[in-house]
Amino acid sequence: MRCQRAQQWMAAAVDGELSPRRRRALDGHLASCAACHGELAATERMLTALEALSMEAPVSASLEQATLRRVRLAAADEAERVPASRWRAWLPLPVFALATAAVLALAVGIVQRTGEVSLPAAPASRRAPKPTAEAAAARPKFAPPVATAPPPSEPPARLAEAPDLFMDLPILRNMDKLRHFEAIRTTTLDDEPATPDGQEPPSNG
Amino acid sequence: MRGAAAIAVLLLALAAPEARAQRPWQSLTPEEQRRAWENYQRYQQLPEQRQRMLDRRYQQFRSMPPQERDRLRQNYDQYRGLDPNQRREFVEKYQRWKGRK
Repeated sequence: MRCQRAQQWMAAAVDGELSPRRRRALDGHLASCAACHGELAATERMLTALEALSMEAPVSASLEQATLRRVRLAAADEAERVPASRWRAWLPLPVFALATAAVLALAVGIVQRTGEVSLPAAPASRRAPKPTAEAAAARPKFAPPVATAPPPSEPPARLAEAPDLFMDLPILRNMDKLRHFEAIRTTTLDDEPATPDGQEPPSNG
Repeated sequence: MRGAAAIAVLLLALAAPEARAQRPWQSLTPEEQRRAWENYQRYQQLPEQRQRMLDRRYQQFRSMPPQERDRLRQNYDQYRGLDPNQRREFVEKYQRWKGRK
């Protein structure tokens, strides 16, 4: 198989839309072609991140409480380690409060953007339990490599002319699955698939 | 009869561009703009072949009746709600279902 053909099939492969026979042929090519293998891996990572991107970013009460608790613990540890530190003695209280508020606002902003909390580790005795393997598996395998800057007031021409394309990108990626969602869900893995009458034949979308 | 058909065609022709019209960027909410912007950046990093495929699907999506687009959106919400095991099973079923052709 040539690289050009492999790349044509990769698009379907990452969505699980490639027939088993073609998938085997593609796998054979990937085993011997580092460039195509790398490209497929990069595309899969990118699409995984795209799918993991939340449509909305709600912050649960428990997450908010956990964040605040860890901030308090970290602050308490710092106070224990540096009792009556000099800067704290002369720093006016409003400035200290403002600085704390700024840190909290930043933390909440990060959580809203990413859904992840990244704070200084608390001491081992107070550290939160390690996440389970299932939770780790459910999480995206890498951070989406996009800038977190807000959208520009003047978007690029492509984005300005078709903003809906980009809003609906995850739907477009899974369009074939979504068109036949009900039929697929009622398919059994043990027996012959149950396709309702009148269901249009599968396509590559 | 022919007159009614002509009127129906005319109404469809008038209605279709409205249904397919793009919303201007400025009319999007800040949250929609943020999502579109982030997806745009990801799109830019995809291979060209993949971009073309998404462009084709977008044209298909736009040409669908609004009810069908809503159905796909609802299905996507359900799809996103699947846990990893359910998602894996769904993909297996999809491959089984697709392999019938």
